[in-house]
Amino acid sequence: MTDEAIHVDGATPEPVPTQPIARNRGFRRPHPMLAARRLFGGISAVGVKELRGRMRGRRAFVVLTLYLLLLAGFAWMYELILERQYNTGLGGSAAFASASIGQELFAGLMMLVTLLVVLLAPAFTAGAISLEREKQTLDLLVTTPISSLAIVIGKLLSALTYVFLLIGASVPLTAMVFVFGGVAPDDVIRGYIVLVATAFGLGAFGLFCSTLVKRTQAATVITTFGVMAMTLGSIFILVFWGAMTGVRIGPDVPSGGVGPIKGRPPEVVAYFNPFIAQADIVCGTQTTYSLWCSGVSQLLNGNSGVVVFTDFGGTIDAPASEPAVEEDGVRVRPAVAVQPFGVARDGFWPKSVAAWLVLSVVLITLSVQLVSPTRRWRPGLPRRSPRRSS
Amino acid sequence: MTPIIRAEGLVKRYDRTVAVAGVDLAVAPGEIFGLVGPNGAGKTTTLRILATLLQPSAGEAEVAGFSVTRNPDDVRRVLGFMPDAFGVYDDMKVWEYLDFFARCYGIPAARRRQMIRDLLDLVDLGGKRDTYVQALSRGMQQRLCLAHALVHDPQVLLLDEPASGLDPRARVELRELLRELRALGKTILISSHILPELEELCTSVAIVDHGRMLAQGRVAEIERRLRFGAVLRVHVLAEGEELEAARDHFGADPDVASATILEDGTIELGFRGDDAASARLLARSVAAGLRIVTFARAASDLEELFLQVTSAEREGASAA
Repeated sequence: MTDEAIHVDGATPEPVPTQPIARNRGFRRPHPMLAARRLFGGISAVGVKELRGRMRGRRAFVVLTLYLLLLAGFAWMYELILERQYNTGLGGSAAFASASIGQELFAGLMMLVTLLVVLLAPAFTAGAISLEREKQTLDLLVTTPISSLAIVIGKLLSALTYVFLLIGASVPLTAMVFVFGGVAPDDVIRGYIVLVATAFGLGAFGLFCSTLVKRTQAATVITTFGVMAMTLGSIFILVFWGAMTGVRIGPDVPSGGVGPIKGRPPEVVAYFNPFIAQADIVCGTQTTYSLWCSGVSQLLNGNSGVVVFTDFGGTIDAPASEPAVEEDGVRVRPAVAVQPFGVARDGFWPKSVAAWLVLSVVLITLSVQLVSPTRRWRPGLPRRSPRRSS
Repeated sequence: MTPIIRAEGLVKRYDRTVAVAGVDLAVAPGEIFGLVGPNGAGKTTTLRILATLLQPSAGEAEVAGFSVTRNPDDVRRVLGFMPDAFGVYDDMKVWEYLDFFARCYGIPAARRRQMIRDLLDLVDLGGKRDTYVQALSRGMQQRLCLAHALVHDPQVLLLDEPASGLDPRARVELRELLRELRALGKTILISSHILPELEELCTSVAIVDHGRMLAQGRVAEIERRLRFGAVLRVHVLAEGEELEAARDHFGADPDVASATILEDGTIELGFRGDDAASARLLARSVAAGLRIVTFARAASDLEELFLQVTSAEREGASAA
């Protein structure tokens, strides 16, 4: 036993200046301005820390350079493909050929960048919180006064910064399509709005998975399956729906759907598929019944073919929701006039963007709940008894 | 004096286990308060509740007058916490590490630079400012983690097993550092499963086992209570039958519960008496002609003492 301890043992320890205790009781809500300042301070603290790690050294910029080189290589090669495949018999004039090549080049670039965003955005965030848990740094973080919202948003924004950098770096390359024509600046802007919204939504999804489970590996697996469901899964469901509701010729075979699967598929299935949203935007640049337009139309309208161009001025088959009529003893769909130009198409992507933003808000809210140590509720998940230690 | 850390009837229940079963705690300002108990006693759980990392199932706790359940944000501002198992961020320099936590506490940029320099000097890492955190030794990381808990100049420090995994030299350094912090007016609550580690440092200790508080008070007081049931080790200059006779001599003493000859030829006594009784036993043995080389109380190993304390408690419970 030390002298000090003995000394203290004999007398009361010397008083230490502390604030009066009684004053601190009761719940106080900080002033909104102070709360906002603390939130932004917290977001910037987490953001600066994350970016310091991510952007240190040359790695991030070497990767960015390689990415741009590959993207430029792709654009150049794709343009060569389009040039050789262009069927001179159809359009005739060189201006038309250039414009249609521009449109397809735009489509190719947007699809490729979308693919990158779909792969990278959730991958960057899927470890955001679970890695802190694994490295046992989350406890240090949540015992600071920084709010869970600041942690979640700071993590999300810093992880997405690099994705946004990749998206932004592709803008000059995409702008090359203006040289070819056929694509208006607002088309490009729309494409990038969809990209950013997708990155945000998928980033929030990865982050949410990261807060939901303890291990980064599990979070990555869940995120990957979620992304596959959103992209491949949604297309498969739409194709399935179309096949079920499609008209089948013959007296015994019912047409127009099975059970609840009737008429147009619910559009919400496609909201979280950024490829369909991009196809919708590409379709908006085109005046012919192109691959992109027919693809979107077939998927979303359940084989009914109610979209696209008016100059045609004719009729096409009615949606499968319409009852079939008998014509010369054969059941066929009635004919309806096609919609005027510009109405049915190019209307899907804003809904997709809105859906991504709503999803982000919901997932961020849930993530905040799961990160916060004192406000934890886990609906539907069995509660594991945490590590019991001394 | 109003306690700066106060807990009343703190309970933490998990599905099947009860980690903390009604802990009461009162720590006066300026103390170094030790929380002692074997692994699984509920020390970490108690500290994590105080650090606002866990919600208690029942009971109430306050730090500097702020409730840990109702005002966790206020508690976090007056409290520095160093967890048992803490991690360090990869790819981060020492000053960036502290800068990050200073930002988390909203410390303005103008003050951060000077504060980081002061803190690094305090924990003796002044020369490591630009070293990557993962390149530091375990002891240095421990001190850095302690420094992180000090960036906002908290009134209260909660340290969970701060000396675990440290070599003896690092332990001594840590002890010096904690004394320094106490001199700066901090109240320190520290947990450990090794009693000697705490008895040199702490002004008060509380002993917990199975989520319950067994004893709480000044170190000397607790020691007196625990000394009941000490282990004495006696080295007698004797062999063979002579040694066995010596063992029987000790075994006949009413205060000796057990006497066994160890492999190294010393005799171990389970001793129930106090210091005065052990002095009398020594005097009697010398008078009886035993050639005693050493006669000492074995270092009080907490686990050993616990076995005795808790078994005594259980006997008391079954008798009642």
